[in-house]
Amino acid sequence: MAPPPSSLYTLSFLLAALVTLFVAASLRLLAIIPSRRTKPHPFRARPPATRVLIVLGSGGHTHEMFYLLRDLDTRKYTHRTYVVSSGDAFSAQRAVEFEAGIEEREKARARAQEAEKEKTPVVVLNGGKTRENLKGKERQACTGPDHYNISFLPRAREIHQSLLTTPLTALHTLLKSFPPLLRAPPFLANQPPQSAYQRAAADLPDLIITNGPATAVIVVLASLVLRFFNIRRANSRGKCRTIYVESFARVKGLSLSGKLLSRVVDRFLVQWEELEGTGGGRAEFWGVLV
Amino acid sequence: MTDTWKWIADSKLCFVTTGATAPFTELIESVLGLSTIDTLIQNGYTHLLVQYGTAKDVFERSAAAGRSHVEQTGSALGFIIDGIDFNPEGLRTQFMLVQRSNGLVVSHAGSGSILEALRYQIPLIVVPNTSLLDNHQEELAVAMERSGYLLRGDVKNLTPTIQKSEGFRVKMSQFPPITSGKHRETKSFAAIMDETLGFID
Repeated sequence: MAPPPSSLYTLSFLLAALVTLFVAASLRLLAIIPSRRTKPHPFRARPPATRVLIVLGSGGHTHEMFYLLRDLDTRKYTHRTYVVSSGDAFSAQRAVEFEAGIEEREKARARAQEAEKEKTPVVVLNGGKTRENLKGKERQACTGPDHYNISFLPRAREIHQSLLTTPLTALHTLLKSFPPLLRAPPFLANQPPQSAYQRAAADLPDLIITNGPATAVIVVLASLVLRFFNIRRANSRGKCRTIYVESFARVKGLSLSGKLLSRVVDRFLVQWEELEGTGGGRAEFWGVLV
Repeated sequence: MTDTWKWIADSKLCFVTTGATAPFTELIESVLGLSTIDTLIQNGYTHLLVQYGTAKDVFERSAAAGRSHVEQTGSALGFIIDGIDFNPEGLRTQFMLVQRSNGLVVSHAGSGSILEALRYQIPLIVVPNTSLLDNHQEELAVAMERSGYLLRGDVKNLTPTIQKSEGFRVKMSQFPPITSGKHRETKSFAAIMDETLGFID
């Protein structure tokens, strides 16, 4: 006869269970955390639509972020989610301006192309549905309000908050950062995604970009949790890849966010040669990026 | 900008930005100092525009002294001193005017201002605020000067740096640097994004 389950409630069993859990968790972490030197990702066919999540910070970080993103290709990165700390109206405003700017640029480009087309007569065959046409449609620029969203997160720490309560508010921020990571809210509520673009927007981000505000540490941590538990197959589909760019103002030493994140992000970029190889040998230098 | 400016083809503007939120008052005083004004006039400058942020009182006091000094010495083209507080639309107009008039920008060492001014390919003198605790302004200014993007000025004496800026105008490095190998391979951030996701096209 099997012993009653209560006989399992011993200290040694508890210890054994804890050790097993610890070993399993460590192995899992080792498996998902990038190795010391980032291996180049194997080239793959580009999915028709991708979502990128951009963590904005206070004034300086936001400024630099939009310099980094100046050549953003909306044909590749079809949905942008900007994560902003609540109360940071400046960053939200800058995101709207940035999106308006790329929309304007695309319109001007389309007009120029249209003018070019009018000059040269086109012969339409097969009802216009040629391969090139379909391909061209697939690769259209994705600008405008239905291709981006702004998510607000509560602050991890208010400016004069005591250190004692900081873990609590940080945990609150962590919990609140899951919804924007899991999906961008649909443009029309209660409507299932219609196109590849909407499906990508309603999915986990393919890429997370950040340059060092405190919120970024928490968002990256949340993305690790998703990868750790492979939630919505985050890890097996290679979603939630992370790029950290150390501030251009950091010449001789890493920031606190940089030190914390250097081992866990997929790419860790610095902008001054002196910092190359810091962060446990993971810092890459490819010139000034801003 | 205004009618009182008497802007002509030969005008030459020196624009000073001191930070909108916590203005660098020593820089306002230094740039309106009599020796700085004399050096600017010597180098053909006709206009000095100071963005003083919230430190209007400091600006008005120093500007009054500067204007009376200009009146006494007299200069062929005249020398106009003006100020603005803060422009929510950014400083694009001011930078464009400097660019057109082959002028000069003097700035506090905030990274935002540096990045913005350098896009206009105009000579930039950056003055670190040494009284700030735990700041990286000095480090950044040193590193940027070494790369030939800008000149670093001393708030106590701007004269030598202003003299140097005329020669610097023709040999300054382009910013942002062209992303193709000079002494080593460089990449643009857009390329790094694609590479991280494994996109080839």
